[in-house]
Amino acid sequence: MSSLIAQFHAEGNAARRVACRLCGYEHVRVPLARGQRAGCVRCGTMLEKRGRFGPHAPLAFALTGIILAIPSVTLPLITVSKIGNIRMSLVYSGAGALWDHGMRILATWVFICGTLAPVLLFATLGALIAARRELDPAMSPRLLRAAHALEYWAMPEVHVLAVLVALIKLGTLVNVFIGPGFWCYTAMSVVLALAWRSFEFESTEPAAGARRAFSA
Amino acid sequence: MTPSAAPPPPAPGPPLALALAGTIMMVPANLLPVLSTNLTGQTRSDTIISGIVALWEDGMWGIAAIVFTASILIPVLKLLGLGWLLLAVRWPPRDGRRRRTLFYAVLDFIGRWSMLDVFLVAFLAGTVKFGALASVEPRTGIVAFTAVVVLTVLATNAFDPRWLWVEASNPDERTAPDPDGPAGQTP
Repeated sequence: MSSLIAQFHAEGNAARRVACRLCGYEHVRVPLARGQRAGCVRCGTMLEKRGRFGPHAPLAFALTGIILAIPSVTLPLITVSKIGNIRMSLVYSGAGALWDHGMRILATWVFICGTLAPVLLFATLGALIAARRELDPAMSPRLLRAAHALEYWAMPEVHVLAVLVALIKLGTLVNVFIGPGFWCYTAMSVVLALAWRSFEFESTEPAAGARRAFSA
Repeated sequence: MTPSAAPPPPAPGPPLALALAGTIMMVPANLLPVLSTNLTGQTRSDTIISGIVALWEDGMWGIAAIVFTASILIPVLKLLGLGWLLLAVRWPPRDGRRRRTLFYAVLDFIGRWSMLDVFLVAFLAGTVKFGALASVEPRTGIVAFTAVVVLTVLATNAFDPRWLWVEASNPDERTAPDPDGPAGQTP
């Protein structure tokens, strides 16, 4: 943590308060400069940060993710061949195979964690940012709960590692070609992490630099 | 001085129940085969452990280590760690709250990586489909293993780290910046 910034007093209105998400200690928000982070004075957990990408980063990442989601689920993920037989698989082919073997609940679960939840999370983040800005602020608590639930079970990064492990394992058995869908899916998983981090911890206080710019 | 709301009273029942259920499911998850491989007529079934051993014997040590960490180490660590944290809630030690809070954050972060083996089996079953030539099929063990992963993740989620701070005092005055200072920044 580059610098530790936290302040607490008894007064101060509720909207400017932030409770530590781990130990529950309440703090009063202070303006942060770009690249600065605020940590809990009691347990040290990061409370907020002002990212280097600016205030529009969460929306930009969410839109990027929605765009990347389309080729991720439609283009071939991996193509394998064995003595002239070629088989192409998509990102949800694994869930389909589990379904075909009668493991339907597991298939649904794998489909949710690997495909559905990441895509829905991008859509929810986009809707949430729009709702906060102008559309319908009353919707945001419900959308926020949905976003947290989706984030909990969206694990494209684990899926990417599993595919890489499988590819190394398969390399001796069959010929493997990485398809464009895999690159789009990997990029989507990186953007998901960036979107969530910039969204979850982004400070809502005006930046210290911005305030100076206005008074100058 | 402190504006903190009173911490919620500890309710260790739900995380304990979920962790115990996860521990029970560890038995079928590790004894039943998770997938079977059919290579030109020869079929072999693998449990999680025998799959890791096979990778190790093929010289794929890195991959074996990754699968071992995700499938064995993380679930065991999560269950033992949750047990330790629940004991600390029941009989609070005098210090080490910060360390235990950090440990909880680590447990919360690593849980999802256990899904690796589930995605691995699903991907192999969906990709290696060359009939009698080469095919991979999922087996019941993977359902039990997924249950372990989901139960341990839910158990961690049901544990509220604020329970660790129920009898905590306020942070030391020295670490608190001056409330009347401009932004309380330390360089």
